[in-house]
Amino acid sequence: MSISLTARHIVKRFSGVVALAEGDLTVDGGEVVALLGANGSGKSTLAKIITGVLAPDEGRLEVDGQAVTFSSPQGAIRRGITAVYQELSLIPDMTVTENIWLNHEPMRWSVRVDRTQARRRTEELLALFQGAVSPALMPETPVAALPPDEKQIVEILKALSREPLLMILDEATASLDARQVSRLFKLMDAWKADGMALVFVSHRMEEIFRVADRAVVLRNGRTVGERAMSDVTERDLVTLMVGDEPSAAAVAQPDAAQPVDPSARPRLQIDRLRSGRVHDVSLAVHDGELVGLGGLRGQGQDDLLLAVFGALPFTGKMALAGEEVKFNHPRQAVKRDVAYVPGERGSQGLLLIRSILENFQLPSWVRYGTPLKMGQARQDAAQMGASLRLVMASLDAPVSSLSGGNAQKVVLGKWLLREPRLLLLNDPTKGVDVGAKAEIYQLLEDLRRAGTAILFYSSEDEELLNLCDRVLVMQDGRITAELSGVSLQKENLVAASMGAVEQAGDQGGSSS
Amino acid sequence: MKKVQLSPPLLALLLAIALFLLGGVLAPGFVNVEQAINIVRLSAFLGIIAAGQTLVILSGGEGIDLSIGAIVTLSAILVFRIVDGQNGMVLPALAVALLTGFLFGAINGLGITALGIPPLVMTLGMAGVVQGSILVLTQGQLVGKAAPIMSTLISRPLVLGIPGVIFIWLALGAVMWLLLERTAYGKHLFAVGVNRTASRLSGVRVPRTVLITYALSGLLSAFGGFMLLGFTQNVFLSLGERWLFPSVAAVVVGGTILAGGKGSYWGTMAGALVLTLISSLLTAVQLPEAARQIILGVTLLVLLSVYGRQRALRE
Repeated sequence: MSISLTARHIVKRFSGVVALAEGDLTVDGGEVVALLGANGSGKSTLAKIITGVLAPDEGRLEVDGQAVTFSSPQGAIRRGITAVYQELSLIPDMTVTENIWLNHEPMRWSVRVDRTQARRRTEELLALFQGAVSPALMPETPVAALPPDEKQIVEILKALSREPLLMILDEATASLDARQVSRLFKLMDAWKADGMALVFVSHRMEEIFRVADRAVVLRNGRTVGERAMSDVTERDLVTLMVGDEPSAAAVAQPDAAQPVDPSARPRLQIDRLRSGRVHDVSLAVHDGELVGLGGLRGQGQDDLLLAVFGALPFTGKMALAGEEVKFNHPRQAVKRDVAYVPGERGSQGLLLIRSILENFQLPSWVRYGTPLKMGQARQDAAQMGASLRLVMASLDAPVSSLSGGNAQKVVLGKWLLREPRLLLLNDPTKGVDVGAKAEIYQLLEDLRRAGTAILFYSSEDEELLNLCDRVLVMQDGRITAELSGVSLQKENLVAASMGAVEQAGDQGGSSS
Repeated sequence: MKKVQLSPPLLALLLAIALFLLGGVLAPGFVNVEQAINIVRLSAFLGIIAAGQTLVILSGGEGIDLSIGAIVTLSAILVFRIVDGQNGMVLPALAVALLTGFLFGAINGLGITALGIPPLVMTLGMAGVVQGSILVLTQGQLVGKAAPIMSTLISRPLVLGIPGVIFIWLALGAVMWLLLERTAYGKHLFAVGVNRTASRLSGVRVPRTVLITYALSGLLSAFGGFMLLGFTQNVFLSLGERWLFPSVAAVVVGGTILAGGKGSYWGTMAGALVLTLISSLLTAVQLPEAARQIILGVTLLVLLSVYGRQRALRE
């Protein structure tokens, strides 16, 4: 038995915002289709519509030529469509067997669960990954005891236990190691030979070329192209994803950017730093330089910034202006004029119920003596508020009364009051309105001119391209490419993010 | 179109005055200067004992100090023993008591920050440890004597018929305000109470702040025990215990948020007045003990739900 699924002109809006403008996808039994696109291009939305998690606003979904509407994932499962998601759907306190068979347990006399059969069939499923997982992965193992990669494998087996005709793998390889990935690909080849249809969503070019037969590319919520893998190159796909024709400069010369003063010791130098998700990162940022961190979300950028700020323990060497430092607490970093603007404003950057004044001065109170010179503290905060053009009722209003953009100015302002020499930013314009964004860009530019060293992670490629002197692209906790000068092009950035390493590296002039 | 918002401390103070006047209606002879002074004097002891509790609750992280009652008792017994009727020994005895309270509080803080024990569990355990230490220390024999100067300075009328404890309480109020509003520690305490991650990422040493807070709570409880001895002139093993629940209640009635990060010691002072008034009033109308307890409990619930609603509206 085999399936043929077609999605035509699918539209999905979330409270007015169009997530999917025209999603088209066809997949038949016996083929692997890769679904490709940059962050926010609508891949996940399309996948969720196909599996019945979301209902489309417009468009038509056909299974075997017959129009269908799925009111829930169960509806899709009944037609043989299942999905493996990256955010796991497993229940930690239940065993591997219980998780895999949850809601479709093998029954005896239709009244009680047939444990023997469930166990036997779980063993059969686990046997598929034998040798690629630890022997501790048994049917009775509680899921909570498993490492992330084995949880992901259980998730895959759970989808497989439904004996699907169509399986969607959404970033299912992100937490697997190389051996597990190659086993999964062998299995996918086998499933394909058995007539299963597979949709493979991944950010790794190499994997897409290894396993897919066709690629469907989404850009800004539209399906913009479809290519057979046999006659397409990585560059072609990247071009499709980015949209613009490649400019001449994109095929470009090595590093053209120069540090402001190459002879000076860098403000920040780190050497083979390891911490959390970061593996062996070395980089330098000079005074007056704005260096971007790019790459897909969650490739270790957060941990890198936190480690530099002393909020995460690390191994490796770190020096500020030539002097080796080892921070155990952000306080030490603050004392050395390092500042960190976190990505999650509400939970990491602000004391929401406290006043604007107190938020501005939180890192600086110790400088105002005992008893605190409140007059001075107020005056400094008021000046900072004015220079940031902060729209507020008064300094005593709670910071929760501010808009997103103004609240983010407070987070920036509390560090500017300390005149940092090294500013670390973690996606500082997330959820900030356009006007405030422009002001923040101007502010960063002014700081850079004034000689501040800035290390800046952004999830928006445009920001990196427009603001930064250099962009270091991270993947899997490593810096995989360095783009600067003429190589600093959107298409190189996307290619490098997707792991088209050699190409972006060679043409983009990696420093190595 | 700014609506007048009564801050919880002010609300509690107005409530206290209303209760006092209500007392005059319900029990003729309730409203007079002497009675007023007496009520403020009783409130002062509660207020002083609740000072440490205020800091701990402000520190957030489900902060609460259940060892306060035991430390009050221990401190009173220590002073009782060391002073033994001699005026000259009062200051050394006070120093020993404060140091002891500080140390027990610091152990609370260490258990909570270094070992990650929940405050409720840690301080409850500490209450047991302190009670045990009292038994070891006294061997069941409460020997000693309060010094005459203590009752002179604390509970007897000192100036214009006002006892010393009221002046001491007001002075403590000023010190607590300075501590909370005019030191970096105070600002860090509020910050830690609201959001520990943001505090840490702003360079605040969170564990250190929490540790100091519990140590200060121990110290202030010991001070409360000293003051209480000046009032009761005598010690017994359950001296401090009955102040534990009111110490939490006074803080909350005063508008300090149980989750931490917002509140004041002025509020606690007003809360202590309200609680003392309610219980005096109920005594004055000669209600049986059981009815008094029930009414006290219900009043607290009503008051807290009113505060809760105010917050919800502001959000």
